[in-house]
Amino acid sequence: MFIAVLGLLLLGQFVYAPYLTSPALQTWSTVFVAICVQALPFLVFGVLLSAAITAFIPASFWTRALPARGALAVPVAGVAGAVLPGCECASVPVAAGLISRGVTPAAALAFLLSSPAINPVVVVATVVAFPGQPMMAVARFTASLVVAVLVGWVWLRFGKGEWLRARRVHDHAGFGEAMRHDLLHAGGFLVVGAMAAATMNVIVPREWLDALAGNLWVSVLALALLAVILSICSEADAFVAASLTAFSPTARLAFLVVGPMVDLKLIALQAGTFGRRFAVRFVPLTFSLAVLVSVVTGTVLL
Amino acid sequence: MNRLTQNLLLVLLGGAVLRITTVSTEYLNYVKPGFRYLLIAAGAVVLVLGLAGLFKKEDGHRGPGVAWLLTLPVFAIFLIAPPPLGSYAARSEDVPARPVSTALTAYPPLTQPVTPMTMEEFLGRAWGDPTKSLAGKQVRLTGFVVPSAKKGRWYVARMQIACCAADAVALKVAVLGAPAPVENQWIEVTGTWVPPKAGGPEPGTTAPELETTGVTEIPQPVEPYE
Repeated sequence: MFIAVLGLLLLGQFVYAPYLTSPALQTWSTVFVAICVQALPFLVFGVLLSAAITAFIPASFWTRALPARGALAVPVAGVAGAVLPGCECASVPVAAGLISRGVTPAAALAFLLSSPAINPVVVVATVVAFPGQPMMAVARFTASLVVAVLVGWVWLRFGKGEWLRARRVHDHAGFGEAMRHDLLHAGGFLVVGAMAAATMNVIVPREWLDALAGNLWVSVLALALLAVILSICSEADAFVAASLTAFSPTARLAFLVVGPMVDLKLIALQAGTFGRRFAVRFVPLTFSLAVLVSVVTGTVLL
Repeated sequence: MNRLTQNLLLVLLGGAVLRITTVSTEYLNYVKPGFRYLLIAAGAVVLVLGLAGLFKKEDGHRGPGVAWLLTLPVFAIFLIAPPPLGSYAARSEDVPARPVSTALTAYPPLTQPVTPMTMEEFLGRAWGDPTKSLAGKQVRLTGFVVPSAKKGRWYVARMQIACCAADAVALKVAVLGAPAPVENQWIEVTGTWVPPKAGGPEPGTTAPELETTGVTEIPQPVEPYE
């Protein structure tokens, strides 16, 4: 099988390459490869960290570090998200690693949502992207943390253990084995997300969106959906939000809050890591809370 | 996916990433230059993981089927070698994008006979500079040719990225006084800014104009994005 892939690669160099030149296909492939290439270091970092958590940190550490009561552990884990400087691709395997070490799923999920949105790199990027509007970074930090904690609490109250698929690699698997499995698995789903995002990126013209900028709720929903579709890394999305000048600050805040929590590549990664039954509940819950909290925060702070 | 295939796939993936970052500068078509060492490290980790698996005797688990999809970016890198975003991507947004960091509010006066300038700086000065420092000054811009739907009009454009090509925005300047070169041709344009007429559209809603005195065709720069 693998020989066939290699053969195709070699054959393709000479036979197919001249035909792969349509501008739309080239643009698609550039965006697709760009998303994969850009996410890979963060994915590798997340998988390394996750494997290290599983292999080297004893489960007892987490029971001591996090409050025993779930209702308290959720906000603590949410705030702890501020220290992992990575984008969302890193946080999925790390959260999976935490759950496999006995951390309350609700707390691990709060961490999963908050860490790509409120870490120092993202906060600085937001400040830089919105010169003279420091409140945008403040609003983003606040709204993201609130959403992460709310989702964690809702999950704690109503979530069922059976919705979360247990990891197939068990504790006895070595460091390298766990890494190899996670990397291939999450990497595959990253490719699914990158394909979807590249497709939407090429076929949805931005003018359609500008037509929606007038009405508050319509514009907020439009930019929230755009954040889902574009799947931009959380370290870069502030710059894109800043360029969407036709939209109100609240709509742009929704773009910044939704993007790191719900997007096509993340949905694929989450469904792959935690299972489809998890994703169909977690994704709509996160999306609606993120939109609501953004509107409230935007109205109060911006 | 069997054990051998998993490891070979990792070797190919790591190899592809190392190829575009060390042997060539292709990675600049996709991400900011700052990603280089991150990518080299990630590619090396993936490669070593694959190689280690090839030489170690373990009865491993069967790998996930979804991992086959990882061959796609490998194929894309080796076969298509996707080029930097060009006029197709720039044209799909007709409304001009605002440069990413409009933080440059203090614009020093231009003293050189011809000032080479990034598109970002040109747009910033054209749209946001109350002292009109661009007026009457010769500048040189570097970008690629984007034809316009309007007859006789064309743009010099450059994509600006913050992180990767998925977040690219097109910075465009309309060029007056010269026939359009071939679409997507990289050029250097020398000329002077044409201040908008009073009562025209708001600054920032249409591309600023440049009256050119010379258009030179150049090869694509190593770093295609601003």
